[in-house]
Amino acid sequence: MAALVAGRLTGSVSRLLGHGGSSVPGAVARRVDPALLRKLGGGLESGSLLITGTNGKTTSSLLVEQILTAAGLRVLRNRSGANLIVGLTATLMQAARLDLSIKADWAVLETDEASIPRAVEEVRPRLLAVTNFFRDQLDRYGELTSAVKLVARGAAALSPAAMLVLNADDPHAASLGREARGPVVYFGLGSPDLALDAGAETLDARFCPICGEELSYSLRFYAHLGHYICPGCGFARPRPTVEAVDVVREGPSVRRVRLLVDGAPTEVTLSLPGTYNIYNAVLAAAVAHGLGVGTEAVVEGLRTSRGAFGRMETVSFRGRELRLALVKNPTGFNQVLRAVAEDPRPKMVMIAINDRYADGRDVSWLWDVDLESMASVMGAVQWVAAGTRAADMAVRLKYAGIHPTLIRTVGTHAEDALQALMEESTPPLCYVLPTYTAMMELRGALERQGLVSSFVEG
Amino acid sequence: MDGRRLVFAHLYPGHMNLYGDRGNVLALRRRAEWRGYDVDVLDVNPTDPLPLASIDLLFVGGGEDRHQELVVEDFVSRRQELVAAFQDGLPTLAVCGAYQLLGHRYQVADGRWLPGIAWFDLETRSGTDRAVGNVVIESRLDLSPKTLVGFENHGGRTFLAPGQEPLGRVIAGHGNNGQDHMEGAVREQVVGTYLHGSLLPKNPQLADWLLSRAIGFKTGNGELSPLEAEFELRAHAAMVERFTGGGRS
Repeated sequence: MAALVAGRLTGSVSRLLGHGGSSVPGAVARRVDPALLRKLGGGLESGSLLITGTNGKTTSSLLVEQILTAAGLRVLRNRSGANLIVGLTATLMQAARLDLSIKADWAVLETDEASIPRAVEEVRPRLLAVTNFFRDQLDRYGELTSAVKLVARGAAALSPAAMLVLNADDPHAASLGREARGPVVYFGLGSPDLALDAGAETLDARFCPICGEELSYSLRFYAHLGHYICPGCGFARPRPTVEAVDVVREGPSVRRVRLLVDGAPTEVTLSLPGTYNIYNAVLAAAVAHGLGVGTEAVVEGLRTSRGAFGRMETVSFRGRELRLALVKNPTGFNQVLRAVAEDPRPKMVMIAINDRYADGRDVSWLWDVDLESMASVMGAVQWVAAGTRAADMAVRLKYAGIHPTLIRTVGTHAEDALQALMEESTPPLCYVLPTYTAMMELRGALERQGLVSSFVEG
Repeated sequence: MDGRRLVFAHLYPGHMNLYGDRGNVLALRRRAEWRGYDVDVLDVNPTDPLPLASIDLLFVGGGEDRHQELVVEDFVSRRQELVAAFQDGLPTLAVCGAYQLLGHRYQVADGRWLPGIAWFDLETRSGTDRAVGNVVIESRLDLSPKTLVGFENHGGRTFLAPGQEPLGRVIAGHGNNGQDHMEGAVREQVVGTYLHGSLLPKNPQLADWLLSRAIGFKTGNGELSPLEAEFELRAHAAMVERFTGGGRS
């Protein structure tokens, strides 16, 4: 109890001082009681779900929350920036009563890959879902296989009754199911319409996670996600329990997706763009299926889907429509470019690249983004390079084949980026693709200008 | 042979593509295309033929340790033909892992030694930690600007034998080993370096150094028409300023 009080007090002080930092109270409380997260994890009515993987954690967590809420369950979810151990602690702590019980059925916790072993040990989740594994900020995480190993360690430490929900289309994620002691629910895409015809993408994982042989694909959706088999050892895409088999566009941003859940068809509508968001939706449906939640709730939860914090989130100001979509690694960036290209309206595309620690200090990944194929089909009438690495981004755009006169470089501060968005000549539709800290800074600048009210995610 | 057509070979694009290596190939391609050349890039994977006689420039990048180990055998099996082509003057850029493979041998994280092709007189020992961060060096090549900027991320520490020419002197960052202030290696027209970032887009003078030698290698006259490079040099200068004092770090 002392830990809870200390942490909450810190939270209030931190907020009074104007720090948004939702993790600080978690850190303080853990100092007072290192076992706090274990105790809190046991305080939920039903239990916790952890969602991890390189891309899609935040959006799929939000979709799971919406589905469970539609099923009449009380759900707690952490904010995207609070996905380390201290963040998970803070999230549960803020909802806890003094006896450490929590007035919620489920906690849906997106969790950083590196925190998974500890989170599994302390939270004792009932379910662990894995979105995908891509190269991500190599200077911080090291190589792709080290992230896979960390999550595998967590998966091995799950209680025997806990369930794994895995992306069948990702060879590394799917390979985690081979050692599972408990139930495994696989999800994937089965619609050939979504397959890529050609891709100049750098493949992060084209080799078999079991034997190292080059995988052979009959269908590839993007990056290394698809229908694969290893000619060396026979490792192949497991058959998904929940699969998206057909996708029909119903409007500029609405799609109807036909799901097969254990063979039974269900139609859902989704207003989030891009193939990557179909994966997020199918993951959420698979989690729901694993927990025994009915299809009505899945349909309802997905129907009301919207962009999570900075993930294709729409903000209006001064008659302009601003769409914010976080970019943090080549695969995610490629997917966001495709989603922007799906919107037929002319637009400004601003790319704000910071190289602070949380963004990854190494910006070489920008060169692995397939801008060459995408630049001419994006409907962009203006390109703006912003952030601490604005100059690098401008070079990147030039070498993508965009004429330098269409590329504007603004100063390295968020205010400079905001200024460019507010100018009269700026088109009414702006897509802003920032790295993590660039997004936080831009939001801060928008708030300070009074252009949007304080952002509260949820 | 058409003098306006260039063939670049990209060796092991599937295995060795970790740090934006695409960017180096793209920079070479664009800077040749903007000068009116047609460029073919030939992707060469393990066991694929490498028709060195018809190649004007060779690029090899860095890879995950596991992937680097997977190509060692193939690379060493091509030793004779590669060394012969290097001696003939084939312009080559080898970044990070590929740079290590051009030495006598390199040590992987678990302590084992793997062979290189001994083009450079150097060896790479496993370090206790990774050397990660931004780098600025002063190059020994005849370049303007003299500085090269990039990012390094390597576990190995590379030591040059006396007499082995480095690419340059470290102004900021670790370089080859963090001790002797040397970075990279050069012999004939082969450049090895730990710098990525990607390297060539922000260092257009080095891209042109390689390109001019590729064209010279092919036609005997490596003269290049000048290109405007406002964006490239601004990105270059921003990094020099930021990491050599004056700017924030």
